[in-house]
This record gives sequence, structure tokens and C-alpha cells, in this order.
Amino acid sequence: MSGPGLERRYRRVLRLLPGYYRAKWEEDMVAAFLDSWLTGEPDEDEAILEFRKPAWAEVASVASLAARLYLGGVGAPRRYFAWGQAVRHAALAVTLVQATRGLDVLVRTAWSRHVFGWLPVPPAGIAPGTLGGILPPVVWYLVAYAWIVSFIALVLGRYRIAQAISALAIVPDLVVLLQGQFTGAFQGPSLGPWAFWVLINLAPVLAMTAFHSGAPPAARWPWLLALPANYILVAVPLTALQATGNSAWLPDFSGLYCVLAALACLAHAPRAWSRQAAGSGTWSLALVLLAADAGAYRIFSLTDYLNDPHLIGVSLAELLILVIAVALVAPDAARAQAAAPAPPPQPQPG
Amino acid sequence: MAVKPMTGQAFFVLAALADGPRHGYGIVREVAELSQGRVRLKIGSLYGVLERLAAEGLIEADREEAHDGRLRRYYRLTRDGRGALATEAELRAATARVVRARLGLSGAEAAG
Repeated sequence: MSGPGLERRYRRVLRLLPGYYRAKWEEDMVAAFLDSWLTGEPDEDEAILEFRKPAWAEVASVASLAARLYLGGVGAPRRYFAWGQAVRHAALAVTLVQATRGLDVLVRTAWSRHVFGWLPVPPAGIAPGTLGGILPPVVWYLVAYAWIVSFIALVLGRYRIAQAISALAIVPDLVVLLQGQFTGAFQGPSLGPWAFWVLINLAPVLAMTAFHSGAPPAARWPWLLALPANYILVAVPLTALQATGNSAWLPDFSGLYCVLAALACLAHAPRAWSRQAAGSGTWSLALVLLAADAGAYRIFSLTDYLNDPHLIGVSLAELLILVIAVALVAPDAARAQAAAPAPPPQPQPG
Repeated sequence: MAVKPMTGQAFFVLAALADGPRHGYGIVREVAELSQGRVRLKIGSLYGVLERLAAEGLIEADREEAHDGRLRRYYRLTRDGRGALATEAELRAATARVVRARLGLSGAEAAG
């Protein structure tokens, strides 16, 4: 890497970009960047080239471009398009899980306040709990409903609105975590609450970056219908178990996430093995990402059960099921992302 | 199928090339001038836009010139790019006319 200090430092920043893109645009970007600094005064320019560094805003613009390129949209090389689609599917899936929790809070709140006259009297404990802390209960209801709005906005293509809403929705959890950390409420080695915040709250917000102007729109109706379907197939049976006094059978959220990710892998496995279905590879890659997220959360939340060998055993069984299920789709995922990037034609002077 | 709306940055970059080819930093300067300083493109943002516009066939490379030991690549509008810019400019002008009418502004007042 040659050239004066400023050029060398900027080229180092450009290494954030994929190789195919740098091969095509790097020299031009460096020339434009240096043009933006140089004044035409030899002494001043010499000092600038020697001592100045790219501004943070410039670095951020390159990082943002890198994220858009690695999580490619329409027209991107196949490998980066596969990663982009996989991250978009995974972001939608985790946001769907959050929205389903929000819908669950909505229904439980309505039931506990006797809005559904045809339902039996709600059992004790059916009302949704809140994390408490320094924030009033209404904040937690708003957080739950915000995820429903965020999910629908994402499916309808209002990407930045969805990202902004979900970014706001994860703040109260962080406030309570920090409060617990500073007041000593979290004792011992428990990492579960922090793992939840990073892997279930923060991860989808960051992953929504993959929804950029080049991203193909999500399949609108299947994703919209997935919300009530997920609620009926997952949340209703769990609520029924709780309402009928069988709470002992309820898995914790981490276990439920592992089982759902494993079931999704099993359901997708026939497509993954057929090699015929269009788009199968990006779904396999998305499921691997989801399984990694679920598995990491399961592992970190094990620290909540260090004194309970039975729950440790159950958690390890959930992990084992997840690993076996994800192994069925992993080869298809590897094929999807291993394709060598084919650089699109470079605009040549003509 | 609905036509994908043009982003503000893409519009300004195409507008900067309307009167002739420009190199990267020349486009940055022209965009700042055209937007009266409201749009100041970072280099990473500019090349994100240029790459998209080139992929859509709206701009193409014109020539390369050596300057201080570095090659500057110049870009120009394609015929499709000129058409897309004209369509977008007309759309924005029509919107501006409607807004001025709703605000009860005459053309002279709006210009001043």
C-alpha cells in the first residue's frame, strides 16, 4: 500500500469494501477523496497529505456502503445477494417473533380486562408481566405493540420507519439492564438478559440495514399472514397451557426459540435437499443464521440455570436438536454463499 | 409495475452531469452548488450512488485524465439517464407548482 499518509489511511478504510468492488472503484475513490482535501498550495498540501486522517463521517459513509454491498440487493454478485437475502429473511423472522410476543401481550391484556366476553374468566397470572424497573408499565405495553408496527412496516417496505421504531423499542430493555447492572440487581454470572438484548433485540435492528434501496421487496402476504398464523400455532397453545395450570410444560423463551428454529430447519430440509427449488439456498442460509442466533442465546442463558441440573439437561437437549436440524440445511446454505462473485461489467470510458 | 422513485442524491448526481461529464470530486462540488449547500456528498455515498446509476444504465464512464499522478475518471449521462433526469425534474417541478398554488404564492413571489 503506497502513497502519502492520508492516501494510505484512506485505502485502509476502503479495505472494508468487497474485493470485486475495490478492483473496480478504488482508484477513482482515492482520486476523488484526495481532490476533496488538496488546496493547490504545495506546502499546505504536503502537510495535509502527511498528517491528516479521513474524517469519521467519511469512514462512516464507506462503512455504510460496505454494509450495502456485502448485504447485496438486485444486481449484486450472487454470493452477496445470497447473504443479503439471508439476512433480510432472518431479520424478518426475528421481527416476526417479536411481533408475535407483542400480539400475545395485546390479547392477554384484552382478556385480563374482560374484553372478550365469550372467553372464560381469565386465570390469575394471564395478564402480561412487565420488567418494572424505573419505567412505568405503559412503556412495556408500548414496546410490545411497537414490534407489531415495526414488523408490518418492514413487510410493507417502509424500511427506515421499521428500523427507527424497533431501535426505539429496544431502549427500555437497555435502560432496565443498565439499571440492574448499576444497582446490583443482577447477581452472579447470569448473562441471559444481556444475551436477549443483544441477540433478540439489537440483532434484528442491525440486520434491518440489509433492507436498502436495492433490496427486493419481501413477499407481502405470506409474511403478513405469518403473524396471525404464528400467534395461533405458537402463542395460543402456550397460553392454553398456562391457563389450564400446566405451566410446568412451558419452555423458557430461549428453549422455544431453539425448538422453533429447529422445526423451521426440518420443514425446509426437503427443499434444501432437492436442489431444485428456486431461492432455497438463501432460505437455508437464513435458517443457519437464525439457528446460530437461537443457539448462542441458549448457551448464554444456560448461566441462568447453573444451580439446576435438570434445566441444564433440558437446555442441552434443545441445543442438540437444533444442531441436528441445522445440519440438514447447512450444505445447501454453504452452496448458496460459496459461489464466486462475478463482477458486473465495469463502466469503461467510451 | 410502479416506477421506483429516484432518491434525492441520485437526482442531484444526475443533475450535476446534465451539462457535461465530470469526475468524482467535480460531481461532489457541483451537487453542493446545485443544492445550495444542503447536500454534501461523502465520497463513500457518492460512489454508492454512481455504482447504482451505472448499473441502471443512467450514467457511463466518459474518459480518464491524469492529474497529479492519479487518474481521474469522468462520468456522463446516457440517453436513458437524460430521460430519467428530465422525467424526475418535471415531476418535481409539477409538485412545486401544486405546492405554490396551495400556499397561494405566485411564481414571482416563489422565485423571490
